[in-house]
Amino acid sequence: MFELDLRSRAPMYEQLVEKIKELIINNVLKPDEQLPTVRVLAGELTINPNTIQKAYRELEHRGYIYSVPGKGSFVRPAVPGNNAARLRILEKELSIIVTEMRYLGAPPQEIITRIKTQLFKDEGGNVDD
Amino acid sequence: MIEVEGVSKQFQELEALKDVSLSVHKGSIYGLVGSNGAGKTTLLKLLAGIYRQNSGALTIDSQPVFENDAIKTRTAFIPDLLYFFPNFSVQDVAHFHAGIYPQWNQARFEKLRSVFNIEVKRRIKTLSKGMQRQIAFWMSLALMPDVMILDEPIDGLDPVMRQKVKNLIIQDVAEREMTVMISSHNLRDLEDICDNIGILHQGEMLIQKDLDDLKADVHKIQIAFSGDVPPTLLQDMPALYQEKRGSVLILIVRGVYEDIIRSMQSYHPAVLDILPLTLEEIFIYEMGDHGYEIKNILY
Repeated sequence: MFELDLRSRAPMYEQLVEKIKELIINNVLKPDEQLPTVRVLAGELTINPNTIQKAYRELEHRGYIYSVPGKGSFVRPAVPGNNAARLRILEKELSIIVTEMRYLGAPPQEIITRIKTQLFKDEGGNVDD
Repeated sequence: MIEVEGVSKQFQELEALKDVSLSVHKGSIYGLVGSNGAGKTTLLKLLAGIYRQNSGALTIDSQPVFENDAIKTRTAFIPDLLYFFPNFSVQDVAHFHAGIYPQWNQARFEKLRSVFNIEVKRRIKTLSKGMQRQIAFWMSLALMPDVMILDEPIDGLDPVMRQKVKNLIIQDVAEREMTVMISSHNLRDLEDICDNIGILHQGEMLIQKDLDDLKADVHKIQIAFSGDVPPTLLQDMPALYQEKRGSVLILIVRGVYEDIIRSMQSYHPAVLDILPLTLEEIFIYEMGDHGYEIKNILY
């Protein structure tokens, strides 16, 4: 289904959380679609099943997936509400990108246009994401 | 599943293990790392029921391990130095295992033939070191163990075989909740598959933690200022290790990510990067903290 970067410094479960989140946000994993079971994913990725369990718990906690006892984990249709902390990090990243673009000589108007284009493209999707 | 409580082991004058405690849950993979001569092999041999401890308790499934046949038949142990009977072929070794381990699974043995791809008629002593390791894994996986104890198991395996063996172990952990205890110096390999890590040094357990917590607890900071480094910064943030490379200050600190970032930003650095550490780095810095440092002695 996907690959993880085994050489990355980030903890494995964090990488898993980010990857699955990305797939959900970009609608590759559709609402109410079942995620692979812990066992299947462990075998596929050669990753400790406890790590995958932990990633699933974290995703559930953040509101991206829900689990049905005895059946497995599924993508949650609604947009998660509690994401203030993540938004702060993203704002910071945005400011880093903008600063670097300015440093490399991109005119402010172009930066604004790019952001507007992106927003326009995403319209109809989840702008919160 | 595996419980070790206050275990000490002496060999005459030598104190190999001092008051070591640990516990491994069922279905967990525990990675044991440590300096050379730290006592890893001694601990694993105690767990395999080969040595008897001088004091303390050592149980698997609440039963003492030493010379306990019921536990030993459910345990696969791959020692650092392999031993095979002289002149035995792969088939003979399999036959021998089948006679000893009641959970031996012949169908699985046959199935694993396609993974290891070694002619069963070949005599073990004609096989290379890496192939002999493969035979050890082949046998261990076919005897359907509930506990696997591995002493530096993947040394000598080629990268493809390493991945295959890891995958087979992971599958057994996922499907049958096998419990694994594994020692290695190849921290990269441990990082992928372990959920818990213990660091041994001179017979004592220094740290024992969930691997992700261990990583979340220590951070590498790269920080640079447009002017001088504020003098209060280092008092604010006691570092396990610090180094200055050009204008960039590198610090290894313990603490919560958010706290560190907040306190660092209050100094308005020009560059601030906080990276998680690799297991290898954690090992080196923790050891340095205990007087086992990397020093340039010769030059």
